[in-house]
Amino acid sequence: MTSAIDVRDITKIYNPNSNQPVKALDNVSLTIDDNEFFTLLGPSGCGKTTLLRLIAGFEAVSGGEIMLFDDEIENLEPNRRPVNTVFQHYALFPHMTVAANVAFGLERLKKPREEIEATVERVLTLVKMKHLADRHPNQLSGGQQQRVALARALAPSPKVLLLDEPLSALDLKLRQAMREELKQLQKETGITFVFVTHDQEEALAMSDRIAVMSDGEVQQIGGPTDIYEHPVNRFVADFIGDTNFMDGEIVGFNDDLVTCRIGTQSMFEAENSGAHKIGDQVTLFLRPEKITLSAVDDASAADTRPGKVANIVYLGNQAAYTVDMGDGIELIAQARPREDGKLPFTLGDPLAVEFSARALRVLAQ
Amino acid sequence: MSDQMHQAAANKGKKMLPVGHYRGLGAWTIVFFIFLYLPIVVLVFYSFNANRMVMNWGGFGIDWYLKAFQNDDIQKAVWNSLIVATAATIFSTAIATIGALVLARGGNFRGKTVSLGLITLPLMVPEIVTAVAVLIFFSAIGMNWGLGNVIIAHITFCIPFAFMPIRARLEGMDTSMEQAARDLYASEWETFRYVTVPLLMPGIVAGAMLAFVISMDDFIITLMVGGAGSTTLPVYIYSMIRRGLTPEINAVCTVLLFVSIAIVTAYWVVSKKSQTDTVH
Repeated sequence: MTSAIDVRDITKIYNPNSNQPVKALDNVSLTIDDNEFFTLLGPSGCGKTTLLRLIAGFEAVSGGEIMLFDDEIENLEPNRRPVNTVFQHYALFPHMTVAANVAFGLERLKKPREEIEATVERVLTLVKMKHLADRHPNQLSGGQQQRVALARALAPSPKVLLLDEPLSALDLKLRQAMREELKQLQKETGITFVFVTHDQEEALAMSDRIAVMSDGEVQQIGGPTDIYEHPVNRFVADFIGDTNFMDGEIVGFNDDLVTCRIGTQSMFEAENSGAHKIGDQVTLFLRPEKITLSAVDDASAADTRPGKVANIVYLGNQAAYTVDMGDGIELIAQARPREDGKLPFTLGDPLAVEFSARALRVLAQ
Repeated sequence: MSDQMHQAAANKGKKMLPVGHYRGLGAWTIVFFIFLYLPIVVLVFYSFNANRMVMNWGGFGIDWYLKAFQNDDIQKAVWNSLIVATAATIFSTAIATIGALVLARGGNFRGKTVSLGLITLPLMVPEIVTAVAVLIFFSAIGMNWGLGNVIIAHITFCIPFAFMPIRARLEGMDTSMEQAARDLYASEWETFRYVTVPLLMPGIVAGAMLAFVISMDDFIITLMVGGAGSTTLPVYIYSMIRRGLTPEINAVCTVLLFVSIAIVTAYWVVSKKSQTDTVH
C-alpha cells in the first residue's frame, strides 16, 4: 500500500535563537496510508496542531522530511502543496459568498469556468449546502460554516485533507452528527483525512488509526481498539477513556499471567504484556466497564472480591461507583440503574466485585 | 443592612453609575452643548444674512453664497485645498498601509518598537514646531516647488492619522484567513490582492478620510510653507478676516463645515460596517 504521508524524523523548535527555545516536535516519524482516516490525538500543547501546520506548510520544519505520495514537500510554499486544510474556526472569507469561497482554490489553479461551476455545485451538494450558495459566511450558523469550510477544502480535490479540530466550536449534538458525516465523507471521496483533536471519544468514533501524542512525541500509533485495550504506557491508558491504575510489584508467574502484590498484601493476577521479572515495579490497569458489581448475597462465583461503595456519581444512563477494596485500594466501576430508575447500590453497601485476570494488564512504570 | 444599602450594592454590581438621578444634570448638559455649538450655529445662521454687516440681521438671503461661488480667489483656494488634500491623502494612505502591513504582519525584526513609536510620534509634536522645522528644511535645501512643498508637508503629518485605523483593522484580522488563501493555492500576491486588501479596505478608507479631513483643515503648516499662489482655503479665509468680516466668510465656512460633516459621517458609516463584518 502506498503511503499518503510519510513524516520522517521531524523536529520543530520555536524561537531557536532566543534564550527560551521551545521544542514542539521531537524526532517524530509516522506513516499515514492512502485513503485512511488518521487522527492525531493529544492534550493541548502536545504538538499535534504543529505537525498538521508543518504538513500544510504554514510553519517551516527545523529538521526532517515530509513525503507526500513519494514527493518531498517540506520546503514547498503552502500554495505548492496539493493538500487543503479545514481550519479550527473555519477561516471563511467574509467578503465572499459561499460559492465564491468554494471556488477560490479552483480559480487559483486556473481551472476553466465551466469546470469550476460544476465542481462548486458538486461539493456544495455533497455537504448539503447548495441552497445557501449565495449567502455570506456571517449569515450562516456555526454548523453551516463548518460545511462550507469542508466544501472549500474538498473542492480542489486535495491528495490529503487536513482537519484542525474542526468540530470543537460546535455544540454536542451537532458535533456527534458531524462525526458520522465526516467519516461518511471520507469513505465517499476516498481522500486521506488527517484529523487533529483532543477529544478521545471523537478519535475512537471516527478513526481508522490514531497517533496519540504527548510532549512533542508520538506515544502510540494503532487502531481505536488497540489504543483503548492495549495502551503501551500509562499516559495513553490515562488519556483514552476512564481507567483504574494500581501500582505494585511482580511477585510470581503463572503460565502467561503474572501475580502482583498491590498495597501491603492484596494479590492480583494480570495478563502479562512484555518482559517482566519478579521484583519489577509495575502499574496494573483495569477499565471500569470490565468490572461487574453485584450484591453480596447473589454472589455465587468464588473468584469475587469483597468491596464497599465509597462514592456514587450519577450519570443518567449509568452510575460510576467508587469501590473501597480495602488495603488502600479503590476501584472505579460502573453499574446501570434498574428498570424503575433506582440505582442498584447505595453508599456503604457491601459488594461482590468480579473481573477477569485477562482484563487486568501490566504497564511498564 | 438597610434596603438602601442593598440597593446601592446591587447598583454598583450590575449597573454603571446611575447619573440620571443627579438633579440638574440635564440642565448642565444643555448648557455644555450650547457652549460647544452656539458659535457654530450663529456662524451658519448669519451666513444667510442679507445685510453687509456680519452681526446685523438684514433679512434672509443666499446672496453671500452666490458671491462666494463667483469669487475667483475662493475658487482658486478651494482647488488648491482639494489638490493638496487629495495628493496628501493618496500618498500618506499608501505609506501608512505599507507601514501597518510591515508592523502587523512582518513578524519580529530589529527596531520594530522604535518604528512604531516614530510613525505615531508626529501626533504629539506641536504643529508649530513641525511647521517651522519644515519651513527651515525647505529653505535650507532651496526647494521651492510651490504647491509641491505644501503637499510634501501635508503627507508627513497625515501619515500617522491614516496609519492608526489601518493598523487597528490589521491587528483585529486573524492571519488564518491569509493562511487559508495560501492553502487554497494563492500566491503571496494573490493572497494580498484577493484577501488582505478587501478585508483591510474599511481600515484603509477610514484612514484616507481622516487624512483628507486633517489636510483640508490644516492652517499653521500651510501658512508657513505655502508661498504666493499656493493659498489653501483655510489660509484664504484667514486673509479675508484680516480685510474685514463679511457674511461671505460665514458662507464659505458653512460649506466647509458641511463637507467635513459629510466626510465624517461617511467615515462613521464605514467603520460601523467594519465592526459588523466579524473578522475572526
